[in-house]
Amino acid sequence: MMKRKFLLSTVVLTSALGLVGCGSSETDASGEEIVTLEVFNIKTETAEQMDNLVAAFEETHENIDINMTTVGGGTDATAALQSKFSSGDEPDIFMLGGLADAQTWEHKLADLGDTELAKNAIEGTLEGATLNDTVLGVPMNIEGYGWLVNTEIFEKAGIEPASIQSFADFENAVKVIDSKKAELGLDGVFAFSGGETWVSSQFSSNFVAPEFNSSLNETYEAKAFELTYADQMKQYADLANEYNSGPLESMDYSTSVEELFAGEKVAIVHQGNWIIPTLNSLDESFAKEKLSIIPMFVENETEGKIVAGPAWYWGVNKDKEQEVIDASIEFLTWMYTDEEAMDSIINDFGFIPAYTNFSSDAITDPLSNEIYTYLSEGNTVPWVHNSYPDGYGQNAFGVQLQAYAAGEISWDEFVTTLKTTWNEERK
Amino acid sequence: MLTNRSKSFWLLLTPAFIALLIVLFIPLMTGTYYSLTDWNGNTVGEFIGFDNYIRAFQDQGFIDSLVFTAKFSVVSVVLINVIALILATLVTQKLGRWTTVFRTVFFMPNLIGGIILGFIWQFIFNKAFESIGDLTSIQFFKGWLDTPETGFWGLVILFVWQMSGYMMLIYISFLNNIPEEILEAANMDGASPMQTFIRIKLPMLMPAFTVTLFLTLSNAFKIYDQNLALTQGGPYNSTQMAAMNIYNEAFSMRNMGFAQSKAIIFLIIIVVISIIQISITRKKEISA
Repeated sequence: MMKRKFLLSTVVLTSALGLVGCGSSETDASGEEIVTLEVFNIKTETAEQMDNLVAAFEETHENIDINMTTVGGGTDATAALQSKFSSGDEPDIFMLGGLADAQTWEHKLADLGDTELAKNAIEGTLEGATLNDTVLGVPMNIEGYGWLVNTEIFEKAGIEPASIQSFADFENAVKVIDSKKAELGLDGVFAFSGGETWVSSQFSSNFVAPEFNSSLNETYEAKAFELTYADQMKQYADLANEYNSGPLESMDYSTSVEELFAGEKVAIVHQGNWIIPTLNSLDESFAKEKLSIIPMFVENETEGKIVAGPAWYWGVNKDKEQEVIDASIEFLTWMYTDEEAMDSIINDFGFIPAYTNFSSDAITDPLSNEIYTYLSEGNTVPWVHNSYPDGYGQNAFGVQLQAYAAGEISWDEFVTTLKTTWNEERK
Repeated sequence: MLTNRSKSFWLLLTPAFIALLIVLFIPLMTGTYYSLTDWNGNTVGEFIGFDNYIRAFQDQGFIDSLVFTAKFSVVSVVLINVIALILATLVTQKLGRWTTVFRTVFFMPNLIGGIILGFIWQFIFNKAFESIGDLTSIQFFKGWLDTPETGFWGLVILFVWQMSGYMMLIYISFLNNIPEEILEAANMDGASPMQTFIRIKLPMLMPAFTVTLFLTLSNAFKIYDQNLALTQGGPYNSTQMAAMNIYNEAFSMRNMGFAQSKAIIFLIIIVVISIIQISITRKKEISA
């Protein structure tokens, strides 16, 4: 008797477990089949806008249901995506951070080369997700970064940000502001958050890009790394370290952006246009009236460049049923071609679009517009740090820069370590 | 009577055994296999034998993190147990209804998750300490978590604060189990409270030490979330613990196979230390 009961409960339990696995195929009232799309989103800053956009899409596309999962950026997102795939709970649409990610997921990614989006994409923006001439991802948006400055502080110190046309000008401006620190009410000139290794990783892009002809592919293929522009990098790093408002090696993002920069305690941070929503939430007028970007002078002493390009790409899982793949492409296409959606992409998301069917006049935000201008005039280098060996930007550049800023290692040691780590990873 | 041969013995053992098999033994086996390959999380390229292990022992970052973890564990295990024992002795005094209040308060930090604790203490070190430093201009309160030393002590303080209450509870239960007549006898013989504590209570607490040392030691070694929330291993990875080093190797550098081999090494270290610790404290128990 005991035994039979045990057996029975085992059977019930197993079948219950089996049932949980099923039940994804549904039909709506009209008998049409509903396709459910699992989307893996990592842009937490715009999660709310994304939900609204999805709601709008579902209203007009009754047979497609979208399930959005948003996980915070950085390593956590990579780990979460990896575990989703490993556990068999694969998303239908997910995000790629560049060539390294494209390579990792190549066996899962559908060829998007024939889609309308790939045709509309601004020239060169597909490079970060194209392997062996196959387009594996389409850009989500364009993001640009560099030295973001508070123009009001610059002007009060008697410097016109636009007049900075070389490193010497920049250095001079920093020194002038530093000398007037007390009357301007500043804690320091910079708030470089070196405690966040991703910031240092981004910082490095400007100095690595020229070595590899500003090509994502060339960076990705490079077996040997020389850090040709180490001197320029040292100049900028030393300047930021010397005039930082706190220890560069441990400053965090929120202190740097939310407290010091938004609180007008510093004049310069190393960030990108993604901080606009944060600034808006703290001070409505900041991004509209005082925010600007200053380029870096690396390859050419008088020709400044910022880093801009697509940071994230949408990829579509090819191991799904054809109708799911079609629906995925339909959703992505709708997002960047539907009038209402396009309006939302620019105004609600605050994105700089990576597609030619958007008109540049539509970009109302001043910094976004400025970045777009840099891009269209060719004064940008791409996000090459996304083409470094996996984890190199943060664990090598980020960590070594902390050690250098803390005086733990010399600049020569810094350069040597970076070179050997790269060559080892790419062996 | 249940004998090893009886069917119901095995039947009752089965659920627990299956659970252990699925979540512990099978992953351990596959993990060991992966540690011998160049697995990247999705595909296994080739079988490379013990290359990963050799590489792990040459990886300065990994060695540093192991040393740091060991240092951290020793310091925090000693501090936690000393503080927990003091607290336990204090709250087992006759304090009336305050006893429960104190016990609850001391235990409370343990109810908060590691990540939240990390952020709370990050705020205390970065903001509260900084303000105290600005007000009093005492240099001691400035720049916490900015240097390897303050990062180390920050982690120790956090962990001691979190674990002491829990260990205190274990000590309390053992202290309460000491037979009243022994203490009375000691009292009659004219032993001072200090003598009673050292000669009678401490030896009687030996079984407690087996438990608390095991718990604190293994927890200190495996710590990750507090580390992540408080210092993220910074500055320049100087406060990176072994668990974080392994996680970063796996998910950030995407060297899954290599990270797996580090994890196995780490596992062996923990197992060896735990066995040594348990066998030593068990011996003490018997002699006491």
